Amino acid sequence: MKESRIYPGNLGKQLLNTGSTMTKRILSSFGHSLLFLITGVSVVSVLFIFIFIFRDALPFFKLEGFKDFFTSTLWYPSSDTQSFGALSLFFGSAIVTTGAIIVSVPIGVIAAVCLSDVLSFSLRQIMKPVIEILAAIPSVAYGFFALVIFAPLLQDSGSNILAMSSWIVCTPLILLTAIIGSGLLSSKISPVNSLYIRIIAALIIGIPLFAGLWFLSSYISGIQISSGTNALNVSIILGIMALPTVVSVSDDSLTAVNMSLREGSYALGATRAETLIKVVIPAAKGGIVAAVILGIMRAIGETMVVWMASGNAAKIPYPWFNFLEPIRTLTATIAGDMGEADQVIGSSRYHVLFALALCLLLFTFICNLIGEKFIKRSKKITR
Amino acid sequence: MQLQTRKLLDKSFTGLNLFSAFFLISALIIILGPIFFKGIGAFVFKGTIEYRRMIFDQFGRGNKEKISKEIAYSQKARKFIYDTISDFEKGIIVEPYIKETKKIYKEYKEYLASLKLTVPHQTELRRKSRSLHLLFIKAVESTDKGEIEDIFNKILSDPYRKSFDSTPMQKVFRLVTRYSEIVNQVDLSNREVYLEYLIDLKDRLRILLGPFPKDPKPILPRNHYGQTRWDRSLVKLDDVLFIEKYDYSDSSGIGRMVQYPRAEIFKGTPVEHIFSYLEDDLESILLPKTVFYWRFLIDVPLDSNIFGGIWPAILGTFYLTFGALLFSIPPGIIAAIYLTEFAKENWVIRLIRTCIGTLAGVPSIVFGLFGLAFFINTIHVSTSKSVLAGSMTLAILVLPTIIRASEEAIRAVPHTYKEAALSLGASRWRAVLTAILPAALPGILTGIIISMGRAAGETAPIIFTAAVSVGKPLKLWETLSQPTPALSWNIYNLCTEHEAVDEIRHVQYGMVLTLILIVLLLNIIAIILRARINKRLIGRT
Repeated sequence: MKESRIYPGNLGKQLLNTGSTMTKRILSSFGHSLLFLITGVSVVSVLFIFIFIFRDALPFFKLEGFKDFFTSTLWYPSSDTQSFGALSLFFGSAIVTTGAIIVSVPIGVIAAVCLSDVLSFSLRQIMKPVIEILAAIPSVAYGFFALVIFAPLLQDSGSNILAMSSWIVCTPLILLTAIIGSGLLSSKISPVNSLYIRIIAALIIGIPLFAGLWFLSSYISGIQISSGTNALNVSIILGIMALPTVVSVSDDSLTAVNMSLREGSYALGATRAETLIKVVIPAAKGGIVAAVILGIMRAIGETMVVWMASGNAAKIPYPWFNFLEPIRTLTATIAGDMGEADQVIGSSRYHVLFALALCLLLFTFICNLIGEKFIKRSKKITR
Repeated sequence: MQLQTRKLLDKSFTGLNLFSAFFLISALIIILGPIFFKGIGAFVFKGTIEYRRMIFDQFGRGNKEKISKEIAYSQKARKFIYDTISDFEKGIIVEPYIKETKKIYKEYKEYLASLKLTVPHQTELRRKSRSLHLLFIKAVESTDKGEIEDIFNKILSDPYRKSFDSTPMQKVFRLVTRYSEIVNQVDLSNREVYLEYLIDLKDRLRILLGPFPKDPKPILPRNHYGQTRWDRSLVKLDDVLFIEKYDYSDSSGIGRMVQYPRAEIFKGTPVEHIFSYLEDDLESILLPKTVFYWRFLIDVPLDSNIFGGIWPAILGTFYLTFGALLFSIPPGIIAAIYLTEFAKENWVIRLIRTCIGTLAGVPSIVFGLFGLAFFINTIHVSTSKSVLAGSMTLAILVLPTIIRASEEAIRAVPHTYKEAALSLGASRWRAVLTAILPAALPGILTGIIISMGRAAGETAPIIFTAAVSVGKPLKLWETLSQPTPALSWNIYNLCTEHEAVDEIRHVQYGMVLTLILIVLLLNIIAIILRARINKRLIGRT
C-alpha cells in the first residue's frame, strides 16, 4: 500500500474510489433500472401480442358480428357469399386435443411415476434423453411422419392395427381381473383356499370377457378407414408430442413429494403400488393437473401436424365422436388461409384469421394461469 | 384383500410402469427409424447414367471422357428399343408428317407474300397449295392403301407441279414420295389398334430413359433426363411393363385395379420384344452405380427440387436460427440475471414471471400472425417477408426458454461463489460479472443450444414472416430484406404442395433427416454439456 501511494495515477484512482460513492450509487441504480427495462421486454412482448392480435381481430367482429362465428358451421371464407362459421373449426381443435389427451395423459403420468419411483438411477439416465429427444423433434418432422408414413399405414391396415392394439391393451387387463376376481370369489365361497375353485372362478370371469374382446376386435377390424389423414392419426401423433410435457411436469411434481410421505406409507405395510396410488399421486395431484393443462396447450397450439395430416375438412364429423373422419382445426385454418388472405389485407377474410388467433390466445392464456395456480398449490402441499 | 393379490397388483403396476417407458422408447424408434433409414437414401443411392449425365450437364462435375464412353455404351444398348419403335411407328404415328406439311404450307404462304405477284395469280397459287397440302394430310390420315395411292397419283400428276419447283412447296412432293415408300412397306391397318398405346408407351419410355434421339429438346430440365435413381427406375420400369386397368367383373361395381402386361397389347409385333429386353437388360441400359451424394447438402436445387440438393434451405435455417439467437440472447440473459440477483419478490416481478409463462404458452402460429401484423405491417422492418422479420419473431418465441434456462443455471451456482466474491470486496455487479456468470455459463449455453434447436425446427412462425418455397441462397446482407427457403417450411411444401410429390420422396426424407440431425446434434451437445456441469457442481460442493 505504501508503495502504491508513490504513483499519482493510483492515488487518483483511490481518491476517485473513496470520493465517488455518490456517482457509483447513481451508476448502480441506473444499471439497475436498465436491467429492469430489458427484463420488461418479455412483458412488452406479451402485451404487444395481445394488442396486435386484438387490433386486427376487432374489425372482423365489427363487420360480421359474433353470433355466426361461434354458432354456424359454414366456413366459406373465399366463396362469393362469404360465411365465417367457425364452430366446426373449434370442434376440430377440441376433438383432436381430447384425443391427444386420451393418448398422452395415462401413458405420460404412468411414465412419470416410472421415472420418479420405479426405475433405477442408471435407467433414468437413459429415459431422460429419450424424453428430451421426443420433445426436441421439430413439429414438421412429426407432421411428415403422420402424413407420409402413418397415414398410408392407417388407411391400408388401420383397422387391423386398432384390433391388434385392443388385444394388446385388453389381454393383460382381463387376465388380471380374472385372477383377482377369482381370488375374491373363492375366498367368499369357501374359507379354504382351494386351487380348483380358484381356477373355475377365473374361467367363469375370464371366458366371457375374452369372448367380448374377440367380438370387439372383430368389429374393429371390419371398419373401413376411407382416409388415413383423419382425427385419429392427428390425435395419436399429437399425443406423442404432448407426452414429454406431461411426463416432465408430472415427474417434477412427483419427485417433489417429500420422501417422508413415502416412508410413512411403507412403514404401514403398503406395497409400492399402493403407496404410489394412494399417497404419492394424490400429494402431487396439483402438478399432474398442471401437466395435463400444459399438454392441452401443447396439443391445441400445434400447427404443422394438424395442417399436414388432419385432412383439413371444415365440418363436424358424423357421429360427432367419429375419429376416423377428416377434420380441420383453428391453427391449420390460420396457417392455410393466410397465404391467400394476405393478398386482401383489410377484408374480413384477413381479419377472421386474427379472430381465430385471438380465441386461441385467450384459451392458452387462461389455461396458463390455471396451470400456474395448480403448480403453486402443489408446491405448497408437497413442502 | 389377500396378500397374494396385493403383491400381484403391485407387480402388474410395475409392469404397467415399465410398459409406459417401453412405449416412449418404441415411439421414438418408430418415428425416427423410417426417417433415418429412408433419409439416408438421399445421400447414398444407386445413380444411373442419367444421373451422371445430369450432374455433368448441370453442375459440371464428372469425368467427361468416362461419361461420354458410358453414354455411348448405354446408347448402344438402347438402340434396339429405339430402332424397333421407330420402325413400328412408321405407319402408325403420322402426326409428324401432318405437322411438317402444315409448316411447309405456312412457309409457302410467307414466301408467296414476299414475291409481289398480281393478286389473282397469288390467290390461285395459294388456293392450289392449300388444296394440295390438305390432300396430303387426308392421304396420311387414311389407312386404305388404294385411297392413298389414288391421292398420291393425283398430287404427283398435278398440272401446277412445275410452278412449285424451287419453292417451299416442293418439299411436299418429296414427303409424298417418302411416305408412299413407307406405305408400301408397312401394314397400315394396325393404326387404329396401336396408335393410342404406342403414344402412351413412348411417353413412359421417355420418363424412364429420357427423350428419344430425334425428339426436340424439352423445355423443363426434368424432361432432359431419364430416371436418375435406380430405385425410381424400377418403379418406372413397372409402369412401362404393365398397364393399370380396372376390372369391373366384380358385382359390387367397384373397379379392382389389375396390372395388365403391356406386352400382351403388342403381341405379334416387333415391339413385343422390347419389354422382355428392357426387363432383362435395364442394368446395361441405365448402368447403375452406387454413389455417395454428400453434395446433397451444398448443391442448389434444380427444377423445383427434382434434381440437386437443399443448400438454400439449410442456409436459410442457419440464418433464421442465428438471427433469432442474436435478438434473444442479450435480453434473455440480462433478464435472467435481473430476476435472480437483483429483483425482490414483489407484484411487479410476479407479473413479469406470469408474462414469461404466458409467452412460453402462446401457440407458435400466433407468433407468426403477430410477426406479420407487427414487424411487417406495422413497423415495417422490411417491405414483405424477410429473414430479419422471421428471426425477430423466432427470437420472441425462444426468449422464455432462454430466460428460464439461464435463471436455472444462475441459481445452480453455489452461494459460496457469490459470498466469496463479496467478501473479497467486490461490488454486487462485479460479483455477478466475474464470479457468478462464468460459473453459470455452461448452463446458460445449454439453454441457448436447446433454444437453437427449437428455433431451427419451428415452422409456423416463419410461414408468414420469412419463408418462401423456392429461392436462391441469400448473401448475408440480403437477409435484411429478402425471404428465404428454410428446411422446416420446405419439408411441408415439398410433401404437400409440390407437383410431383411421389417423385421426390427421397428429397423430402433427406430434408427431414437433415433437420432432425441438426436438432438432435444440438440436443446431444446440450445433454452432454449438462452432464458435465452436474458432475462439476457435485464435485466442488
